[in-house]
Amino acid sequence: MNRRETFLLVGSSLVSVPAIAQETPRRGGVMTVHFSTEQRILNPSLQASTGVYIVGGKIQEALVDLDAAGNPTPVLAESWESSPDGKSITFKLRAGVTWHDGKPFTSADVAFTAMEMWKKILNYGTALQLFLTAVDTPDPLTAIFRYERPMPLGLLLRALPDLGYISPKHIYETGDIRQNPANTAPIGTGPFKFVQYERGQFIIADRNTNYWRPNLPYLDRVVWRVIGDRAAAAAQMEAGQILFSPYSALAISDFQRLARDPRFEVTTRGNEGNARTNTLEFNFRNPILADIRVRKALAHSLNIPFFIENFLGSFAKPGTGPIPSVSTDYYPAGMPQYPFDVAAANRLLDEAGHRRGAGGVRFSLRLHPAPWGEDISLFATFMQQSFAQIGVRIEIVRLDAAGWLRTIYNDHNFDLASGWHQYRSDPAVSTTVWYRSGSPVGAPWTNQWGWNDPTIDQIIDNAATELDVPRRRALYADFVRRAQTELPLWMPIEQIFVSVFNKRLRNVANNPRWASSSWHDTWLAN
Amino acid sequence: MRIVALAGKRLAASLPTLLLILVGIFCLLQFAPGDTVDAMLAQMGGGDAAIAADLRRFYGLDLSVAEQLTRYLWRLVRLDLGFSAIYGKPVATVILERLPATLSLMGASLSFAFAAGMALGVIAARRVNRWPDTLISTLGLIFYATPSFWFGLMAIVLFSVHLQWLPAGGFGDVAMGYTGARRVLDIAWHLVLPTLTLGLIFLAIYLRIMRASMLEVLSLDFVRTARAKGLRETRIITRHVLRNALLPMVTLIGLQAGTMLGGAVVVESVFSLPGLGRLAYESVVQRDLNTLLGIVFVSALLVIAVNFLVDMLYARLDPRIGA
Amino acid sequence: MRRALLAYLRNPASVLGAVLVLAVLAMGLAAPLLFPNDPLGLAGRPLQWPGANPRFPLGTDPSGRDIMAQLFHGARVSLLIGFVATLVATAIGIAIGALAGFYSGLVDTVLMRLTEAFQTLPNFLLLLVLVAVFGSQIETVTIAIGLVSWPPVARLTRAEFLTLRTREFVQAARVQGLSDIHLMLREVLPNALPPVIVYASVVMAVAILLESALAFLQLSDPNVPSWGNLIGLGRNVLRVEWYVSAIPGVAILLTILGVSLVGQGLNDALNPRITGR
Repeated sequence: MNRRETFLLVGSSLVSVPAIAQETPRRGGVMTVHFSTEQRILNPSLQASTGVYIVGGKIQEALVDLDAAGNPTPVLAESWESSPDGKSITFKLRAGVTWHDGKPFTSADVAFTAMEMWKKILNYGTALQLFLTAVDTPDPLTAIFRYERPMPLGLLLRALPDLGYISPKHIYETGDIRQNPANTAPIGTGPFKFVQYERGQFIIADRNTNYWRPNLPYLDRVVWRVIGDRAAAAAQMEAGQILFSPYSALAISDFQRLARDPRFEVTTRGNEGNARTNTLEFNFRNPILADIRVRKALAHSLNIPFFIENFLGSFAKPGTGPIPSVSTDYYPAGMPQYPFDVAAANRLLDEAGHRRGAGGVRFSLRLHPAPWGEDISLFATFMQQSFAQIGVRIEIVRLDAAGWLRTIYNDHNFDLASGWHQYRSDPAVSTTVWYRSGSPVGAPWTNQWGWNDPTIDQIIDNAATELDVPRRRALYADFVRRAQTELPLWMPIEQIFVSVFNKRLRNVANNPRWASSSWHDTWLAN
Repeated sequence: MRIVALAGKRLAASLPTLLLILVGIFCLLQFAPGDTVDAMLAQMGGGDAAIAADLRRFYGLDLSVAEQLTRYLWRLVRLDLGFSAIYGKPVATVILERLPATLSLMGASLSFAFAAGMALGVIAARRVNRWPDTLISTLGLIFYATPSFWFGLMAIVLFSVHLQWLPAGGFGDVAMGYTGARRVLDIAWHLVLPTLTLGLIFLAIYLRIMRASMLEVLSLDFVRTARAKGLRETRIITRHVLRNALLPMVTLIGLQAGTMLGGAVVVESVFSLPGLGRLAYESVVQRDLNTLLGIVFVSALLVIAVNFLVDMLYARLDPRIGA
Repeated sequence: MRRALLAYLRNPASVLGAVLVLAVLAMGLAAPLLFPNDPLGLAGRPLQWPGANPRFPLGTDPSGRDIMAQLFHGARVSLLIGFVATLVATAIGIAIGALAGFYSGLVDTVLMRLTEAFQTLPNFLLLLVLVAVFGSQIETVTIAIGLVSWPPVARLTRAEFLTLRTREFVQAARVQGLSDIHLMLREVLPNALPPVIVYASVVMAVAILLESALAFLQLSDPNVPSWGNLIGLGRNVLRVEWYVSAIPGVAILLTILGVSLVGQGLNDALNPRITGR
């Protein structure tokens, strides 16, 4: 291979976009986006979910975002530093930024948002900022976050792209924050200004001509089209009526079909920060499941690679524990696993004293799959079929979202439950809470299994306040090892959200949370 | 103004029914697992107990059932449908936003079913027992037996996916930003398949009723007299027979109004139409009691109104019936 | 009776209806013999086209289950649901209609208000609420369908009772001092039943349709191989593997067609009128 070829090969592998000749971004155009689940509010300072970021993240901005490598990059905060004891974190804010209504962005907005929204209302923000006592604002461009316990800077910075959106104080300071009309007509500092929200139909945002990044954004307008039906969305994608479908909102078979169409790119690129694992949750209040042999037997009876290959396609991989492999800082390899082994499963159940009875059935269990996501119901059916092979009869119980949440996490009226665990950039944000005891009854996606382990609690608490990165890493390895050994729940599948792009879009997927990011440099080719 | 007085009396007579429906649904939904805050938490992807308790207080869910019901009824008496938890807007606004889609769909389906049913029923009756009759009657039976959502799906596969003649769903093409007549045409184009789908089963029913009704009237004495007098067949049909044959059809409209709204739930789901049917389904899933009760209230009023109009029309058509 | 049967058999449409219903019944009965394995078990790779694999003449669904097996086993489910729901609806409807028609006065008014309430409310909406409250198990769904289908039966029964209760044989029985219950059940009801039985075929058709609509919306019981569940599963793969939704839809169509034709045939046979035939 000559030098030129080597250079091209190396060059194209560094740049994660298709190797086309350098093009000049074209100004103008309308980007149409598939909006599959409508939200009650669009303000990401008040609600942390991808359904909000897909819209709110273009209109409002956070203190930091992620760069292509997944490291925090300045947005509304230009620089940051932590005090040695970890209890004061100073952010220097960007000058010359204005809100869409013309008022200047200052540290007062940051202080207000942090204390009134992140700390009191924002889901996961309340946990993250639990020990935040105050935000000092010595000048309009400096905000100092004061914590009563050490806050690891890495944890905060990695969480802020999602949990660090700023809202305008002058809009929200009077009246009830939750009732503010700006919640469905957001005002931000971002590249796109909110124009209109026609419930059930569309949302429109136009280019912010006063955006602080010069000569950006390229697009004239973004239109989010509300399309609840997956098949309809795929049809519109093919008809060119939408150019981008985020967050695995199309049917799996459509991903496979569109991937073969040269007009589209179907990829997990740009979603590496949005990993999730499929869960199998055990209710220890059922004495059958309190026996670890039974739990291990159930795990061994599932042929996960088969399921992934035949049902999920290439967009999933076998999970290895609560921390998914996208977490480059904390993913621990070599943890206890439960490979497909029907003989072992049968043996474990025999040992546990569950003989086969009439019809080869040892015992029955009810499985409650979460009512969202095509993969969850496919997995539930697969579990039903697989467990039948080892003599466990499964009845699948269907509930809608409200009923499911209440039944599992409040009433504890289930045997097995299966849903998603969303990994949010750091194990301390939304992962360890699945294992730590002490969550109040009714708190969704927390340890409600009727199981607790003081050792794991200790590991989790220590890791949350450990400032030294290698020590923190070791602590989380301990956490995973214990989680996989005790197996209070099992996370056998790891997935990253899938995006479908029309290839006319450029500068897409250039950071690990791109769909949630601000799209300030996205442009549309002809 | 006699009509207004009559309408008022009819409304007053329907009040106990309305009350029964509203209170019934309200009490029934109390037993559903989970409340609107649970639905919100599911959508948010998480949240702690303090947020949940706060929200419950905010939405008045921490009050007793009796208190909540009393509050609701008291608001209703003042014609205030309340605030929608999902949409953060007054329920009346939310319903008004969704009404055009549902009314267009139902109106179009009803008109299509009525007109086509009438025409086909007349043809079948006139050519009774010959092949047009057999063909039409068979088609009618098949339409009656076809599940509407299945027909909708197959129609999408054929006309949208493979032939690409018609759009796959939606209430008009939003991104194009049409206005005025262009927009109306665009919406009409999007409603072709949904109208066919929803109207199919009613078409079958009207067809059959019309045919039976026509046959019954055609055998009556006054028709034989008209024929004996030498009047042309067509004139007999249009001037004499139709009027009488339409009576059962008209009654049927009143009875079908409620069923059609139920059918709209499924059709709106298949074709992604932003209508009341879909809204009702959403409000059940999200436990938004105010919105659900608002829709039930509006749809009940609609049914009562349609029945009232039907009665008026019936009186006009049949001079034997006094007002 | 014999006359009615002959009249029924002379009508080609009615015979066709009977044949269809019997065919579906036969499918349901033959299911455990032809497809002894669990129809919902993993049979092969998912989404195989009909005829592509000789083991699966009608292909496999998105969860790798044999569509033909589900079709046959689903026949039992659909017929059972239709039958039980109709039974529930008819029982409630007859009870309410009989009481209202027999007693009139306050009882009639109250019961008719109740009936009106159920009829003004779109029945599918009420069904959605019932399923949200009581769950999606097949027993619950069946009863719920029965609960939303009784009003027309009640009205019909009431009309019949209103007509019949003034007849001489009822007056005669009353003079004899027989109790009201006896009068209702032994004298009036047997005469009021024929039109109600005929209408029951309509109720059954609607019941099957309602269950399949619920299943389509993913609100029915996923543990039974119902045709509606299959249509719902096929929704995600409609563009390419449309056969997953198409095949069970045809089955539903033919079943309802059969049931409707049988009902119509019964009506024509039991009430010979000038229908132009």
